[in-house]
Amino acid sequence: MRTVRFFLTSPAGIIGLVLLVLVLAMAASAGTLYPNDPLSLAGRPLQAPFVNPRFVLGTDSSGRDVAAQMFHGARTSLLIGISATLVAIVVGVLVGSISGYYGGWVDVTLMRITEAFQTVPNFILLLVLVVIFGARMDLLAFMIGLVSWTAVARLTRAEFLTLRQREFVQACRVLGMGDLRIIFREILPNALPPVIVYASIVMAFSILLESALAFLGLSDPNVASWGKLIADGRRVLRTAWYVATMPGLAVLIAVLSVSLIGQGINDALNPRLRRD
Amino acid sequence: MRRRMGRHHRKGCEMNDLMINRRAFGLGAGATILAGGMSPAALAQETPRRGGVLTVQTYSDLRTLNPAMRASYAIHIYTSKMVEPLVDLGVDNQPVPKLATSWSSSADGKTITFKLREGVKWHDGKPFTSADVQFCAMEMWKKYQNYGTLLHRFLSAVDTPDPHTAVFRYDQPMPMELLLRAACELCYVVPKHVFEGTDLLKNPANLAPVGTGPFKFVSYAPGQNLIMERNPDYWVAGQPYLDRLIIRVINDAAATTASLESGDVQASFFSAIPRTDIVRLAKDNRFRVGTKGNEAYTILNTIGFNTRKKELADVRVRRALAHAVDLNFYCEEFLMGYGKPAKGPIPSTSSFFVPGSAQEYPYDPKKAEALLDEAGFKKGPDGTRMSLRLMPNQSDDIRAFATYIQQSLQKIGVKVNIELLDAAGYIAKVNRDWDFELCTDTNLYRGDPGVGSTIWFQSGVPAGTPWSNQFGWTSPKLDKLVEDALVETDSPKRKAMYGEFVKLATDEIPVLMALEQVFISVASAKLRNDHNSPRWPGTSWADVWIAS
Amino acid sequence: MRLLRLTLHRLAVSVPVLLIILCGVFLVLQLAPGDAVDALLGQMGTADATLAEQLREQYGLSGNAASRLVVYLWRLVRLDLGFSVSYNQPVLDVILSRLPATLALVVSALALAFFAGAIVGVAAATKFGRWQDTLISLLGLVFYAAPSFWLGLMGILVFSVWLGWLPSGGLQDLSANYSGPRLVLDMARHLLMPTVTLATIYFAIYLRVIRASMLEVLSLDFVRTARAKGLRESAVIYRHVLRNALLPMITIIGLQAGAMLGGSVAIESVFSLPGLGRLAYEAVVQRDLNMLLGIVFMSSILVIVINFAVDLLYAQIDPRIEAGA
Repeated sequence: MRTVRFFLTSPAGIIGLVLLVLVLAMAASAGTLYPNDPLSLAGRPLQAPFVNPRFVLGTDSSGRDVAAQMFHGARTSLLIGISATLVAIVVGVLVGSISGYYGGWVDVTLMRITEAFQTVPNFILLLVLVVIFGARMDLLAFMIGLVSWTAVARLTRAEFLTLRQREFVQACRVLGMGDLRIIFREILPNALPPVIVYASIVMAFSILLESALAFLGLSDPNVASWGKLIADGRRVLRTAWYVATMPGLAVLIAVLSVSLIGQGINDALNPRLRRD
Repeated sequence: MRRRMGRHHRKGCEMNDLMINRRAFGLGAGATILAGGMSPAALAQETPRRGGVLTVQTYSDLRTLNPAMRASYAIHIYTSKMVEPLVDLGVDNQPVPKLATSWSSSADGKTITFKLREGVKWHDGKPFTSADVQFCAMEMWKKYQNYGTLLHRFLSAVDTPDPHTAVFRYDQPMPMELLLRAACELCYVVPKHVFEGTDLLKNPANLAPVGTGPFKFVSYAPGQNLIMERNPDYWVAGQPYLDRLIIRVINDAAATTASLESGDVQASFFSAIPRTDIVRLAKDNRFRVGTKGNEAYTILNTIGFNTRKKELADVRVRRALAHAVDLNFYCEEFLMGYGKPAKGPIPSTSSFFVPGSAQEYPYDPKKAEALLDEAGFKKGPDGTRMSLRLMPNQSDDIRAFATYIQQSLQKIGVKVNIELLDAAGYIAKVNRDWDFELCTDTNLYRGDPGVGSTIWFQSGVPAGTPWSNQFGWTSPKLDKLVEDALVETDSPKRKAMYGEFVKLATDEIPVLMALEQVFISVASAKLRNDHNSPRWPGTSWADVWIAS
Repeated sequence: MRLLRLTLHRLAVSVPVLLIILCGVFLVLQLAPGDAVDALLGQMGTADATLAEQLREQYGLSGNAASRLVVYLWRLVRLDLGFSVSYNQPVLDVILSRLPATLALVVSALALAFFAGAIVGVAAATKFGRWQDTLISLLGLVFYAAPSFWLGLMGILVFSVWLGWLPSGGLQDLSANYSGPRLVLDMARHLLMPTVTLATIYFAIYLRVIRASMLEVLSLDFVRTARAKGLRESAVIYRHVLRNALLPMITIIGLQAGAMLGGSVAIESVFSLPGLGRLAYEAVVQRDLNMLLGIVFMSSILVIVINFAVDLLYAQIDPRIEAGA
């Protein structure tokens, strides 16, 4: 509760929350406001915004409603952001906790693998995966998660390294608790706070990664996405600059909201930075 | 739609200098009035100006610059300035002499004799002879070159009775018109002395061509640029006019427009910029925009049906889908008038086009729905009749068309899921594994239906052959027709056979040839003698010059 | 002696990591639909199946995956990156021809992000809690949140299309045929927008890191002592605090060296720059295994070297830190 109260005194957290609610509202209302497939042909291509009341934000170069794509795109971004973050957290926490708890050759092996993932540029790894396994939405979230777990693993491992020496862990061992129980019931809850703060960074980055993939024409073609709209707008940048501008702002706002919330949580958890 | 590609010098691109100048003198004037530039009086004094650098854009990044072993539109943009073919394509699709000065065929059509140009030197100073032609034909065209391997299937030998005569011997009759038309793109000659006895695929000259053309190789940075300089010893005295020629790779459409407008590049080919920019630049008097000079570059956008799948095995379903796509609307609103619905696999720009031979499928969604009902694909509770995957090839244009197909079929209850693949994935999935329901692609018309059109319908093409019959549809009647036409030396008879071929191909539509487009060029209004032949981007540009 | 130990430790860590990377990428790429010859056929427009088989044989693509992996690794031991199928050239030649553009882009973006981030971060920390701090922090977050490829597009729209001040893409003005200082100037003009675009996100990160670590160091005892000794505030900041606050920054640079190459893929695409990022993307599309492995190998080596340098730097700045700790 204290944390929540502190969170609510952090201006960053509040602004972030407001922005996130905005994006969430867009995603939630997409189905009601724009019940049709956002990728269906709606009208003449490249109508300017605020001219035709049917298309408030105009149409793109394939005659699709930009506003509909913006709203449905919010769904895509949030969905990818959340699920990719979950994947990254699960993989990272698993690798980090096992590595940190057991140490020894298990640790060495897992850390070498972590370093391998860290050494290869993650966007290039993502490109390879997308080209090979295809750009379906469900796979995409998994693949983005798969290239963003390394920092989570290191963070978790570091926490485990300190926590496993603590007395309560020793006590559990003496009581004869199984390893799994100690890892997940005893140590993990204590190791989670920094991971949760970091989750906001992973989520922000996942949204950016998805938009970059879509921009390069590598996201799911059957789903509306902000990045795809930017890519479409790029082709008509000189005649219809607004097509690329608006979805870019949307990505910015979504990522900003997540980062601000992350900072809010951080401020709340980190007493040194609290203003007295 | 205004098309500003100047109408000057339609004829005489290969006549002597004096003629060219006179043509430029007379006809060029009209073009500039159209373009709103200089006064006719100023233009009347124009004589070709020597010097200057021409930079043009291309989006294709090439990994080999040897047109004797590789044939594509892109490679000809790069290499045709350095390496020359036996013949090239003149106006009205007539062959004009290049390295060959004359040709004749024996009565049985099995022996074709080329007389070669004398006094031609390779860029390294050695003389060009019939041995070079023989080497290229037997070792490169027949063995390695895509299309060439098919064209020269029955080539058994090339005799060289003297240094300036090459006699091609075929086991089966070779129609002269087929060979000459194909030769413009497939019979480029590189020097034997550079390649003989080396690993042909890894020879360094594949990336630093030695040829006989008006420009010499300077440097090539793959994915960036190719730089060429004037060949002072070119066999046409006084030509080329330009000092330097730069081909620059810009593989983004919007960036290409930007470079044209800033003057960084002076020409762009193959409809490389967005349609909206094409329409805009067409109104700008700094540019000439249009399809002129690209007549030989006609492409067909296709919708292919995998007839092995149960839904598409029924011809009524294929016809229904063909009726469901409003191609006229697409041409007007998306292609902005630069394109029209196609009438079968032989485009209307071809001399083989027989009006009325194709079965047409006009836009008629009611009929489409009726056909689907009749075939037993009724609408389900959610309004969906069937769900199909659609795989487009890699071009932006085709991907946009795929979206349009998806949108159109949705309206008649056919749900389409687009699956994007890169080139290798496309070939593996669509052409080799036949793991698709619908595909949309580009068919490049190669001037003669025997070169690149019939292969889309013939049976017996091995799996994995890109751009062939991956639709699983066969017709013994069509197969026989196609084989016979390949060895038919009587020209009107051949044309009639291809008319029949179109009829068969469009009746059961294993693949619908949906749209017909001629490539659009954008060029600086300062260029002269540009776009004066039907495949101009892929020609030598020896006579091109830049007005001040 | 310490240097030797440090080096040995790094090697012991790096060799297995490299092996994992190379084998992983090699095996994953085996799962891709189609191979390099298919991609090649795609470029040709058409070809028959026998020609395809012939090409596969010629480029050594016909054996089984395991034996080809062994062949590849054995070649690598002899420092031979192999032959690129799609470029028809030795891999090393192609990479070296693309390296300058990427290096120029990444290094200048990194330098810009580092110095701008440090200056602005210090400013924010010294004004901690005041409106300047809030503004800077917010700005940092906005920079972090803006997709770089989109910023690039907007830059092109404003500075190339509307104002006409900067070129919209490419590395140099080819038709001008510049040389010497003019060429350098011309390239700098072309690289200005891409550099700024690529730098934004790293600027935002460095800004946050330096601000946080400045705040942390400022609260430590030795700073109080320095202040008590009567040193001027600027001297305290720059001589004592910044020096220590830079440590986490250096770590981050080590961690992100690889990521930057990935980030440059989209930027190179926006500004049509002939760099390594695009080359890697092309290599994937072309199924050019040797090329992709070559790029991954080179970039991994680069990351390892940078991290080694970071280790050394650490040991220099803070002698208490031991390698591997």
